[in-house]
Formats: sequence, structure tokens, C-alpha cells
Amino acid sequence: MNESQLILSVRGLNTGFVSDRKLTRIVKDVSFDLERGKVMALVGESGCGKSVLMNSIMRFLGKNAVSTAERISFFKTGADGSVTEQRIDQFAKPNGPEMRALRGPHISMVFQDPMSALNPAYRVGHQVIEGLREHFKMSKKEAMQKALEMFQKLSIPDAEARLQSYPHEFSGGMKQRVVIAIAMICNPELIICDEPTTALDVTIQAQIMEILQALKEKEGKSIILVTHNMGLVAQMADTVCVMYMGRIVESGPLEAVFDHPSHLYTRALLRSVPVLGMKPGTRLQTIPGSTPNPSELGTGCEFADRCEYCRDACRAKDVPLYAVAPGHNARCILFNDRPEVH
Amino acid sequence: MLKYAFKKLLMMIPMLLVISALIFFGIKATGVDPINFLVSPDMAANTEILDALRERYGLNDPAYVQYFRWLGQLLQGNFGSSMVTGSSIADIIANFLPPTLLLSSVSLVLAAILGLVIGLVSAVKQNGIVDYIGRFLAVLGQAMPQFLIGLILLLIFSIRLGWLPATGMYSAGATNSFIDGLRHLILPCIAITIAMCSVIMRYTRNSMLDVMNSDYIKLARSKGIPEWKVFIKHGLRNALRPVVVILVFRISLLFSGSVVIESVFSWPGVGARMTQGVVSGDYTVVMVLALAIAASVLVASFLLDIISAWLDPRIRIGQ
Amino acid sequence: MDQSVRKMQSSLRREYNRRLMKRQFNKFMENKLSVIGTAIMLVILLACIIYPFVAQYDYKEINLGLGATAPSGAHLFGTDRLGRDLFARCMMGGRYSIFIGVVSALGGAVIGVVLGAIGDYFGGKVDAFIIRVTELFQTFPSLVLNMILAAVLGRSMLNLILIFICTGWMSTARLVRNEFMSLRNEVYVKASEAFGMSRARVMFTQILPNTRTPIIVSITASIPGYILSESSLSFLGLGVSDTTPTWGNIINSGTNLSSLMNFWWLWLIPGLLLTIFVLSVNYFGDGLRDLLDPKQA
Repeated sequence: MNESQLILSVRGLNTGFVSDRKLTRIVKDVSFDLERGKVMALVGESGCGKSVLMNSIMRFLGKNAVSTAERISFFKTGADGSVTEQRIDQFAKPNGPEMRALRGPHISMVFQDPMSALNPAYRVGHQVIEGLREHFKMSKKEAMQKALEMFQKLSIPDAEARLQSYPHEFSGGMKQRVVIAIAMICNPELIICDEPTTALDVTIQAQIMEILQALKEKEGKSIILVTHNMGLVAQMADTVCVMYMGRIVESGPLEAVFDHPSHLYTRALLRSVPVLGMKPGTRLQTIPGSTPNPSELGTGCEFADRCEYCRDACRAKDVPLYAVAPGHNARCILFNDRPEVH
Repeated sequence: MLKYAFKKLLMMIPMLLVISALIFFGIKATGVDPINFLVSPDMAANTEILDALRERYGLNDPAYVQYFRWLGQLLQGNFGSSMVTGSSIADIIANFLPPTLLLSSVSLVLAAILGLVIGLVSAVKQNGIVDYIGRFLAVLGQAMPQFLIGLILLLIFSIRLGWLPATGMYSAGATNSFIDGLRHLILPCIAITIAMCSVIMRYTRNSMLDVMNSDYIKLARSKGIPEWKVFIKHGLRNALRPVVVILVFRISLLFSGSVVIESVFSWPGVGARMTQGVVSGDYTVVMVLALAIAASVLVASFLLDIISAWLDPRIRIGQ
Repeated sequence: MDQSVRKMQSSLRREYNRRLMKRQFNKFMENKLSVIGTAIMLVILLACIIYPFVAQYDYKEINLGLGATAPSGAHLFGTDRLGRDLFARCMMGGRYSIFIGVVSALGGAVIGVVLGAIGDYFGGKVDAFIIRVTELFQTFPSLVLNMILAAVLGRSMLNLILIFICTGWMSTARLVRNEFMSLRNEVYVKASEAFGMSRARVMFTQILPNTRTPIIVSITASIPGYILSESSLSFLGLGVSDTTPTWGNIINSGTNLSSLMNFWWLWLIPGLLLTIFVLSVNYFGDGLRDLLDPKQA
């Protein structure tokens, strides 16, 4: 892969939380690359560490978290079009000046629950222009004009008046549009969408999906999409990473992962959710067993306890990633005849 | 906003009525002759005049009629006179209320500033030095009787060290009256502030810790704005709301405190005057002063209501 | 049901309760401040109860020849101006002050529960009225009210307790009402109503028993407030009559100017004793709340 096409490259990211003087590992040795202009979907069940992974990249972790990485590189495009590598993992402070310079104009985030993501004390217009004022030293009037354009682009009706409203005067779907407007306003290169549709009604979900689709196709944004919504994944993603108990267990191009799911967890996951175009009469299946407690996991494959093909070798040591096909990797010893990937 | 303020202001009227009724019938139940509300004691010896007055003021009427008449008198500014000293109660209020309002408002402002700053810093830097100072103050404010705090301050700073005056509001023949007044204000003010401040501090710290975990703080950080803006603008502004709401119920602490502390430092305020009145059985004074304190509490909680509405657009604008 | 099955069930239940107790106890022990607070509270409480029986000195015994002496081996807390042993007086004072605090807290809780229950039972206007009255009492400075009532009713222990009960029930009333409100929405309460149980019966058999723990926590939390109020009233000369050595009276008798300057132990030692006791009850209360009622923490 050509390095100059990358926008984000993560190697060996580990994050854990300390409680009762014990470290619980939540994200384990995660590595992935995202190409500029592509959409990567990150899927997995609740509590598998998706959000913690995103917060680690954004440096949003609390004081009780410990996070280390070989490398988190963000390839930032300057005003003159030159690309420089920013080592997010090496920034001294999580909210220091280097990180703050990236947040907004280079990386931004759309949050899961629009109900709690907006500050109830300020007018939404004010909240939208805050980033513009900070990074581009714009006058209030200029910034408001930009915000108005953004509201119109996101089809918020009566945009001019709505800028002066408070969050509690908006419906859930409209709030999520405001959150997207805040994420988009500084024209970032990478947008991290952390379950952007989960908290919304189904009809509203469809509208938000359309907006995200437009971001990808019209604006060519690089997006990391964290979601349970397989429909959204199928519609938007170029590549898919499947996460289970803190590890990426399978990754590859969308078609490869969806058409030839290799890790047994991916297969089970895909059998458990309805997908458009499914054969009529197919029954959805549940995954046997329940999600283990992350603090009680031993070595070896995290999925071993719930896996029908589990054997002794699965628990002996941590399983490496094997290349099922070029660019399509799975962390399962069923593929130990294939080359290992590092 | 104006409509909200007006509504709150209107709600004070029935509250005051209820309080005045409680005070009136409460004192009436003790069997004190209400004729004393109307005449000065030097006339009280003359029974003929008293009987005539009793007839004229309708003291033989049912209690509720008398209550409304008393209320009418109050509204016209006729507060009666002290049963013990004979001085006009209007004068007593004019002399003793301002020192109390001065003492409590300065203490409240000081307590609010200190409480907010310590609460904020101890939430941001948990287990730091400020956090420990805050915890120590909280322990002191919660568990030590206020008069004891006052006495300790008095002993150390005026009796032993002689830095500050021990009693009163002014010294006789002071040259610079502002500095002199300030020096008198310091100790009683600190004594009241400690208790009030520990309450504000504790609530601010807890509320701030709650708020800093919320999603909109993350969203604010995702915009790349400086941390102080995240703390003050997005954090404190929202953390203040519950603090102000709870303060409405704790504002009485300020007035309870001033009653005790005024006695410790012989501060010439309503609290000390009230204590004197209660001890000497001067009920006419006690009634009106209690009403004055109640009114001050209501005004203070009204102001807090307005502040909390200003902080929260959901109250200000409505759903 | 078979006798042996019943026996097995009850022994199982005992075992379950024993384990639950043990786990809760361990949790309590983890909070060091609560443990220390509880220990100090118990030490002071036991000392106050036991000391007058085994005392070296009688708290009333006057020794004018001795006068005020500073703390020493013979008199741990020193003696007051009449030569009475201050330690003996403080222990006796603890009996009175703690008794006043505990009884007032219990009485306040009774009124609070009754009013809270009435508000819940009748609902609507009655409920709204009770809330308004509660708020009114909460905003009015209770010390001022206590002063007036103390002057009107006269100074005695019984009157003081009655006054405290009359002016201190609000926090329990609010708590009970809120607790009732949330319990009304519980499934088992709805189910009882659906079975046709009367509103009153539901209240007494289903709701009230479940408010037990928060009420116990609230009673514990309110004891320190009453002890502090007693001392403030005594300081203003409106507490229990001077001859009864409550903590407040003992402190107050040492607060005239000459004692303040020359005999620091007369007011500082009882004052600190009161402060330490109040503090230890506070920490005990915090621990108790975490233990019994984690959702309030």
C-alpha cells in the first residue's frame, strides 16, 4: 500500500482501565490502516471495545485509562496541500495544543446520542461556530454565515431561525444533524462516527444514513464508521474490521468480509442480523453463550468459549492474524496454513 | 424570562402571607396581650385608656379579623413598638437590618466565590492540595458549631494577636471609617463563610465531576478549543445549575449563621437584636423581625431562582 | 408442604442472608473513613453511657478550693471554675446531647413518614400543599424558629425535643415522598393494585416496608444536625436549663470573656469533643448509606 494515500495508520494499540489496582485490557494490540477518501466500518457487539478504541485515537480517555501504541499516525494535509505525519501517540498531553490543533479542522467526531451530546446551556448556532472561531479566527458574522450554509446543506428546515434555538427545542434527528454540522463545520479530513444512528428512530436513521452517504460520495471524506447497523455498513463501507473482546478478529474489503466471512465470530455475527437481499425463509441465528467478562479472559482466542470448532491449540497462546486472501485477514487457527500478517 | 421572574415574584406573596399568619397565630397562642402591638409601654399602665383602645382597635373581634388588621398596619408601615424598650419597631428595623444584610451578603458572595473556585479546582485536580484544603474546610463547616468557629477566630485574631477588633461594627472615633468597618467585618464574615462555603464547595465538586463525564464535554473537546474554555464555559456553566437549585434550600444557613455569629461578635444586626428580644420576651419586636428575616430569605431565594433560570434555557424559555 | 423441605428452605435462606451480610460487611470495612468514624462514634457513645457508673468523680461535685485547673493526670479534661471534673461533665453531657439528637431524629422521622405517606395517599392538591409547606419550612432558618419556640414554650428537655421535631421533619418527609413516588411505579406495586388491593393496604404492606432502609439512613444523617442545634441554642441562652449539663451548656458556660482568655479547656475541649462526635456520626452515616442504600450514594 502506498503510504502517501493513507490518512490514519494505527499499530499495536493497547488500552486498559485500572480499577481496584487491577488493569483490565479493553483494546488489545489493534492495528489498521485507513486510506484517504475511504470508509472503514468497525463492527462488533456492545462492549467489545469499539468506542474505547475511537476514544484512544481521539485521546479522549479518562485518568483511569492506560493507553500505549507503537504508532498512531495521522497524515495531515496542510494549507499548502503538503502532507505531514502527526504522531498522535507521542503528543505529551491528551488535550494539549498539538491534539487540539488536529481536532476540528482535521479530525472530528459524531457522537452516538445526540440527546446528551449538545450542551443544553447554549444556542446551537453558538455551538456550531465555536470551532470556526477557534481555528480560523473568523468574525462571528462570517462564522454564522458558514453555519447557516451548513444547516442548509444538511436540510435543516428554517435554518436561519434554528441557529438561534436551544438544543431542547430540537427533535432527536434534528439534534443529530446539528452534531454532524458541528463535526463538519471546520471541513475535517477524517470523521469518526461513533454509532451515529443507534439512538435514533428507524425513519430518522434512514435520513441520517443518507446524509452520511452524501458525505462520502460528494465530499470524499475519510470516515471511520462504528456501528451495529449492517445495512449502513453494506451501503457505505469500503473496508470492514470486525472486533471481538478488544481484538480485531477479521478485516478486509467489504465484499470479501461479507461474502466470505472467515472468522467464526464474523460468520455468527452475520447470521444473527438481517441483511437486505437475504433469502426469504432464512432464520436469524443467535450466537451461543454470552459475552465474557473482559477481566476474566485468559490467553488464547477470546471467542474460544463460544466457538463450535474450538480446540486445545486455540487456548494455548494468542492467535496471530492469517491472510485468508490478499488484504483479507482473520485471527483464527483454522487458517494457520496461510501466511501470518504483522 | 421576565414572565418567569414575575411569576416567581407573585408566588412570594402567598408565602409571606402564610409566614405572617404562622407568626401571628403562633404568638397569639402564647397569650400575649396584642394591645402591646399598638401602644407604647408608658401608656400601658392606664387601664381606662387601654380598654378604650381595645374597643377602638377592635381587639375584642375574632382573631382572624385582628390578623388582617395587623397585616394592614404592617403594609402601611406601622410596625408598632417594642414592649420592653418602647422604641419604634420601624426604627429598630432601619437600624438593625442593614448591618445584617451587609454581613450576610458579603459572606454569601465570599462563600460563593471561594466555594466555586475550590469546588472547581478540586474536581479538576482530584487529590491535589486544593482538594485537601477543601475537604478540611468541609469537615470544619459540617461538624463544628458555628459559634465555636467564631470563638476560635475571636480568641486567636483579636484577643491573642490583637490584629482585628473583637466586637461591634465601628470603633468609636475611628479615623478611616471604611477601613475600620472592613476590619470589623472580617472575622464574623469568615465565621459565616466557612459553613456556607463548605456546602457550595461540596455540591460544586460533585456536580462538576458529573458534568465532566458527559458527552457534551467530549463534543466540546472534539472542537479543539482550549481546556479552560471546556472547564469554565461548558463544564462550570452546567455544573452551576444544580448547585444554585440546592442553594435555595440552604440559604437559611446564612441567616441561622448570622444570628449566632452576630451574638459572638456583638454585631448590631437583626439576629443579635432578635436573640435579645426572644430572651427578654419582647414579642412585638420578635414578630416583626422574624417576618423581616423571612422576607430576606424569600428575596434571596427569588434571586437564586432567577440565576438558575438564567443558567438554564429550559426554564427560561420553557419546553 | 413437607417438613424436611421447609427446614431445608429456611436453612438455605439463613445461609444466603449470612453470606449477604458478610459481603456487605466487607464492603463497609473497605471504606476506611467510615470504619474509623464508626469506631470513634462507638467509643464516645460507650464512654458516655458507662463512665457515669464507674466514675472517679461525680459530675456535680463542687470543689471551690480547687477552682479551674488545666487538664492533668488527675483530671483528664481539667476542672471548671467550681472545681467540677470536666471529663465527668462531658460524659454526662454526651448522654443528654446524644439522647436529644437521637430522640429528635426519631420523632422527626415519624412526622416525616406520616406527612410523606399522607401526601402520597391523597395525592393531587394535598400532596402539592404538603410539598409547599415542606419547602417553606426548609427555606425558613430553623434556628430562628427554634429560638422563638424555645422562648414561648419555656426551657426544658422535653420542650427542646418537641421543638426539634417540629422544625426538623422536612428532609425525611421529602425523602419518603420521593421514595413512595418511585415505588408506586414498581411492578410489584402495580400488580398488587391490579389484584384489587386498596390504596391504603398497598401503601402499608407493599410500599412502606421498602422505604425502611432510606429512612434509617436519613435518621442517622439527621442526628448530628440536632446535636449542633442544641449547642447553638444553648450558646444563645435558649437551650435546656443551665443546670442540665448538655454539651451545649458545658461549652456555653466557658464562653465568657475571662474563661475564653484564661481557661481555654473549659470551652475548647467540650467543643472539640462535640465536633469529633458529629464528624464520626457523619462518616458512619456515609458508610451506612453506601451499605444499605447504594443507589443514593
